[in-house]
Amino acid sequence: MTLRDLVLVRLGVAINLVIGQIVAALLLPIFLDSVGTILVAALVGPRAAIAVGLVSQVLNAVISGNFSWLPFALVQVVIALYAAAAARLGLFRRFATAVPAGIGMGLLAAACSAPIAYFLFGGVTAGGVTVVTTVLRALGAPLAVAVASASFATDLLDKAISCALVSALLGSLPRTLAARFPALAR
Amino acid sequence: MIGYVPGHSLLHRAHPYTTLALAGALLLGAFALTRPLEVWLLVVAAAAFAVAGGVLRASARPALLLSLPIWVLLFVLHGLLGADPRMTVGPVSLSVPGIARALVLGGRLTAIVLGFLTALATASPHRLVEAMTAGGVPFGRTFLLASTLTVLPRMRERTTQILEAQQCRGLRLGGSPLARLRALVPLALPLVLGALAEVDEQVLALDARGAAGGVRRTALDPPRDSALQRALRWTLLALVVAAYAWKFWSMRG
Amino acid sequence: MTALVTLEGVTFTYPGADRPALVDVSLELAAGDVLVVTGESGAGASTLLLVATGLAPRVVGGRLTGARRIEARRCGVVFARPWTQLTGLCPTVRDEIAFGPASQGLPREAVLAAAERAMERLHIAHLAGREPAQLSGGELQRVVVAAVLAVEPEVLGLDDPAAELDPEAADALYDLLPAIAAAGTAIVVATPDLERAARVATRAVALEAGRIVARGAPADVLGGTEVAGIARAAGCPPPFPLDVPALLRRVSR
Repeated sequence: MTLRDLVLVRLGVAINLVIGQIVAALLLPIFLDSVGTILVAALVGPRAAIAVGLVSQVLNAVISGNFSWLPFALVQVVIALYAAAAARLGLFRRFATAVPAGIGMGLLAAACSAPIAYFLFGGVTAGGVTVVTTVLRALGAPLAVAVASASFATDLLDKAISCALVSALLGSLPRTLAARFPALAR
Repeated sequence: MIGYVPGHSLLHRAHPYTTLALAGALLLGAFALTRPLEVWLLVVAAAAFAVAGGVLRASARPALLLSLPIWVLLFVLHGLLGADPRMTVGPVSLSVPGIARALVLGGRLTAIVLGFLTALATASPHRLVEAMTAGGVPFGRTFLLASTLTVLPRMRERTTQILEAQQCRGLRLGGSPLARLRALVPLALPLVLGALAEVDEQVLALDARGAAGGVRRTALDPPRDSALQRALRWTLLALVVAAYAWKFWSMRG
Repeated sequence: MTALVTLEGVTFTYPGADRPALVDVSLELAAGDVLVVTGESGAGASTLLLVATGLAPRVVGGRLTGARRIEARRCGVVFARPWTQLTGLCPTVRDEIAFGPASQGLPREAVLAAAERAMERLHIAHLAGREPAQLSGGELQRVVVAAVLAVEPEVLGLDDPAAELDPEAADALYDLLPAIAAAGTAIVVATPDLERAARVATRAVALEAGRIVARGAPADVLGGTEVAGIARAAGCPPPFPLDVPALLRRVSR
């Protein structure tokens, strides 16, 4: 990766780790912790986006102290690849295509994270998702179904909003700034 | 306390790769072991690791705080809502396999978190960067891991400033869910644009100092490694592989 | 004296831009020069800096036509914002300054010696063990200049280097330039700070819409501003304030 790619990856990681501050201030029940990954996928490409995802996962563990979530790094890779493909197809150019793309991303992300949560963590990863899982289980759903449903519900919303936000951000880039990213023109 | 705690213990003097290898072995080993007794032996090993670093107190407190909510959820999800057979403890009916599962999952988490908090407490980021530089790790990887942490505080500061500035301009942070969603853009956009606008300058500054050179950077104070530590790291790898081989073999049988 | 940088009829256009940022620019830079480039925002002063030090189009992209010869082995650039120029990898000032020589793969002793020399030149040896994050803007900018000088560039570009500094720190920074030039470096400074620039410049060039519209001795190019004319007409003793802030400072004393 060139020096420019590295600086952009660092920017993507920083966005992933900091945007939670805005989400918390707005009291929204989402994480948006992949916005940086998706943005870099659209601005640079898949390799850089994967780097953003992996480094974000590691640094998140370093900052929060919770290293048991490292296995979810696989989900970050999947999100990065999907985002790069979606960007290549021009899906982030309009809101109307970005939101369905986000729903697709949420489905894929949940399909990857639910098995990890179920098999490695018994469905308990702490956070809002596990609370949803617990409630569903208490209502009588089998554990696997509860884990899957909780994952899907949270990921769909989170990724749909993330992709919509990235679409809005890309659309607001000044022309001279956008020209510095050849990947956008494709 | 999460983060580096200065000291002179065995782990502090060890090569950072060794400390990380021990924490990594705890992580991988935890997912390989499936019985409560095995997992809790691993927890004891993690505690011994923390003692070797002289940071048992410093690591144990945050480890307990981090795992407490998870233990509660484990207890509810597996202990209370688990499968039969059940046993009665006082007024509560608990699932026997559920409790066993909770002990395994909780023990895993405790061992992993304790292990990595110990590693964080005894391997300063700077020493790790020096170890990676001396080891010939490409500039990109050390850069991403180390310099991102240094730009985070400024970025957080900027986010706070943007939150205040936009509110001064009349942006409301409350309201209906849709209104709050719409408020995302005027808050996230300045943050992202501001960061993107700096990229060119950052690249130029780094390039002008030779970061793109491709030449192996000289490490100024490389941590000392030893044959013993290298042997230990390889042994840990072998132990982890053996643990997984044992796991899959006993699953088939 | 041989020219370190020669530009002949150079036109440069940034990627995606409608108009070229530099049009038909010709100039020479020799060791010992302190060339000041002025112009309104967008006139091309920063671009000229990047072209003269070889950073454009290599790092920023774009198209360059005309002839450019850079005989210097190494070029360095200092930008306005100290923060964006830190590597983020280095826990102390000394390490930050040593980053350049270390990236050249020089042996450890040579790297440390180069860092010491640079710190001496900038009179910041007392900051050697400090964390960059805790320094003031003025101190940090001196660290950046030292870090750039540590690779011993033959051409040094400074883009509005005192923009974020308070007046004392700005004065101190500009006062360093003649000594650096005397040691054999060619310096080019792009700045709107005409008064400070005039104190240290040996030559000056004024740009408008990417073209050179005036060149020569600093007094002629920089002293021809309207404000200077007003001050002269009002009976002010020389040196004449060159811009409004300078005039206000003079009047308020």
